[in-house]
Amino acid sequence: MKVIRNENLREEIYHQELDNGINLFYFPKKGFTKKYAIFTTNYGSTVNIFVPLGEREPVELPEGIAHFLEHKLFEEPDVDLFQKFSSQGAYVNAYTNFNQTSYLFYSTDNFYENLDLLVRFVQSPFLTDENVEKEKGIIAQEIQMYQDNPKWVVFFNTLKAMYHRHPVRTDIAGTVESIYRITKEDLETSYRTFYNPGNMVLFVVGDLDKDEVLKTVEKAGKEYPTTSDVVERIVQDEPDEILLKSIEERMMTSKPLFHIGVKDTELGQSGREAVKKDITTNIILDMLFTNSSEFYNELYSEGLVDSTFGAYFTGKKTYGHSLIAGQSDKPQEVYNRIMEMFGDPARYLTKEAFLRIKKKEIGGFLTGFNSIEFIANNLTDLYFQDFLLIDYLDVLNEIKFEDIINRFKSHFNEDRSVISIIWPEMESDNN
Amino acid sequence: MESIRKEIGKGLSISSTYTDKFKSNYLGVYIIRPLDRSEVTMNSLLPMVLERGTKNHPGTLELKRKLEDLFGSNLNISASRRGERQVIKFSIEWADGRYTGEKGLDREILQMFKEVIFEPHLEGDSFSGKYVEQEKNNLITRINNKINDKRSYSINRCIEEMCRGERFSIYPGGYVEDVDQIDGKVLYDHYRKVLQTSQIEMVYTGHDNHFNMEDIIPAELRERKVVTFVPRETIIEKSQNRNQVREKMPVTQGKLVLGYRAGIPYEDKLYNGLLLGNEIFGGGPNSILFRNVREKHSLAYYVRSNIIKHKSIVLLDAGIEFQNYQKTVDLINQGLQDMLNGNFSDEDMEIAKKSVRTSSESIIDSPQLMSEFIFGKIIANDDRSLEEMIRQLEEVTREDIILAMGKVNLDTIYFMDGLNREVQDESN
Repeated sequence: MKVIRNENLREEIYHQELDNGINLFYFPKKGFTKKYAIFTTNYGSTVNIFVPLGEREPVELPEGIAHFLEHKLFEEPDVDLFQKFSSQGAYVNAYTNFNQTSYLFYSTDNFYENLDLLVRFVQSPFLTDENVEKEKGIIAQEIQMYQDNPKWVVFFNTLKAMYHRHPVRTDIAGTVESIYRITKEDLETSYRTFYNPGNMVLFVVGDLDKDEVLKTVEKAGKEYPTTSDVVERIVQDEPDEILLKSIEERMMTSKPLFHIGVKDTELGQSGREAVKKDITTNIILDMLFTNSSEFYNELYSEGLVDSTFGAYFTGKKTYGHSLIAGQSDKPQEVYNRIMEMFGDPARYLTKEAFLRIKKKEIGGFLTGFNSIEFIANNLTDLYFQDFLLIDYLDVLNEIKFEDIINRFKSHFNEDRSVISIIWPEMESDNN
Repeated sequence: MESIRKEIGKGLSISSTYTDKFKSNYLGVYIIRPLDRSEVTMNSLLPMVLERGTKNHPGTLELKRKLEDLFGSNLNISASRRGERQVIKFSIEWADGRYTGEKGLDREILQMFKEVIFEPHLEGDSFSGKYVEQEKNNLITRINNKINDKRSYSINRCIEEMCRGERFSIYPGGYVEDVDQIDGKVLYDHYRKVLQTSQIEMVYTGHDNHFNMEDIIPAELRERKVVTFVPRETIIEKSQNRNQVREKMPVTQGKLVLGYRAGIPYEDKLYNGLLLGNEIFGGGPNSILFRNVREKHSLAYYVRSNIIKHKSIVLLDAGIEFQNYQKTVDLINQGLQDMLNGNFSDEDMEIAKKSVRTSSESIIDSPQLMSEFIFGKIIANDDRSLEEMIRQLEEVTREDIILAMGKVNLDTIYFMDGLNREVQDESN
């Protein structure tokens, strides 16, 4: 396996593309008891329209299909996978987000048997009309659980206000209505198209033998017909402008919740450039909205926000947004104050604050390396943006104060800002 | 990794584990209080006020900026329920100098930490009136916020109903109606009393930087003569109530919580049987409940049972359609009956053992988990090593499990129901 080292971090990572096309990475973590593997396809909730592999015409599948498929891959004809993993001392799980579906496990022993099982089950779907039908009740309960969560609703409403068409505006699990439309055939089409080695990556982290890791995955890997077809994903044109200035809803919550979203228009980057934009924007948000900032403290001491107030940026090639979230009796006033500040940020965007936040980011990143989950999950996420996590610190160190100022000017803008509010449904007695 | 506990004063100890496995160091200071209505609200307010400033960093800005300058050292202060205790916990985690390139910051970081705990920002002999008033409002918001998370709200409501009259029913986040009577003076007097009379445990995990952690403890605390230790909880064996509580709320999913009394103290050898029995019953994706309620009948996305160790209570919860209430309760009852009849396989037992072992073994991969584990052993008076605990679990037999589960009896059912719905189950 090829080794990539980072001296500052004192870490290294091994890589090999297997004969069947799977990209395998092994990250040694000496002295750790827990061992972790995560097998991911570059396919999440935002891919609804695509040209299926081997076909010519695009199809549009019901919302929530990637997540539905994630549930169904745990079904096998003659073994109960949960039981099998558990009997080998492993904890198995999976998740779907906007961009990827991941299958993972961790164990303290029997690691290679579990790794073998992981690679095999993800590569062997077992779909029947009955088992697809059976899953609908379970997923419907999962969706309803989120519908009762005001934090989840205030977040998705923000996306719905910012985006006209981009599928990031639709719920990851779909709706109760959309999932009831999903058929076995839909799931097969999506599986065939996205669960092939060229679209997948496997990260293994822990105190292991790299040759044994390689051998195990090679043996468990399926043969795939060689294909030069590249999956065509159809992304509908998304305008730079926001769709709605504000969006409001009533739910059972104690205090109004709000999210302020700022839509990004500098899109299309990958690799170092994408990561640099990401870190830069997050440093700005920290400079403005964490509890060490002047601005935060002004709002806090006026009682406009409390310690739940905070912000982050997230983005991929085709979308991106900053989200500023919190709770307040006067969310509109918080919004107005932020917009005012966007017009004149000089007091807050100081070089001193920049250097301080940068130091904090370095410490936070290093501390993250104590966790094998942090390592594996971030490796995966950045891999699909053509970037290797172990070079992260180098990019962070490279960022200059000018980058902060330039990015602020181009991204933070009232015209592209929206506010989403959840008002309490019942009159609470303290207002 | 071996942890060594050293007593440095009455009711004051430090447990240290030295390792180079992590890129950071972690120090926790635990102050143990009884869970008591007379102080629960003050204890919940304390972390919020203490985070506002110290003697030399009198405001949030100065304090947080200093921490950021120290490579984002992560300071946390919390108050939480541990059985019938309320534990005020201070912790700091900082990137080790071998990686940041700036060695020797440890002293500065610990000095800062010391200030936060022992040298808060004061006005005379009182906390700042302004800070206290602001944080009182924030605390009220926080208490009212419990309704936002319907799952944990329902669990707390079940505990409240089930343990009426026991300390454990006290809501650990505090009470809105008790906030008003607190001011800067009252709170600081209370805090002084807390420091002077409570058991304090320090737990360190990280690189051996040859620094005496106990130096952060002021001399007068090391010379304390009288310390009040919180007694062990009482355990009720039989169910008291046979309650059924139904609350209507504007929600789309029903939240079902079943509270059981097991009555097996954790010091009892049979407790391991309960631990494994619970794991087989509703502990994870291989449990009887997960297989039946979720996989076979598609009634729920989550269904899980947990043990509250210090009270020997089993709490089981699931999110379901309103009209499936009775059907789900019947399946759960059937599942418990299956356990009592021994309708579980040897493989189920093996799996439960492995599952508990895997999660126990993973503890040593995280400084926070290690700290919590070591502290948990101290308050439970448990001096077994992790290996010993695992070995004893391995020895549990089928008879132990059946015997232990036989003691589990239903006490209270809480159900968060929808609005405007006739109480009429099983319409389908």
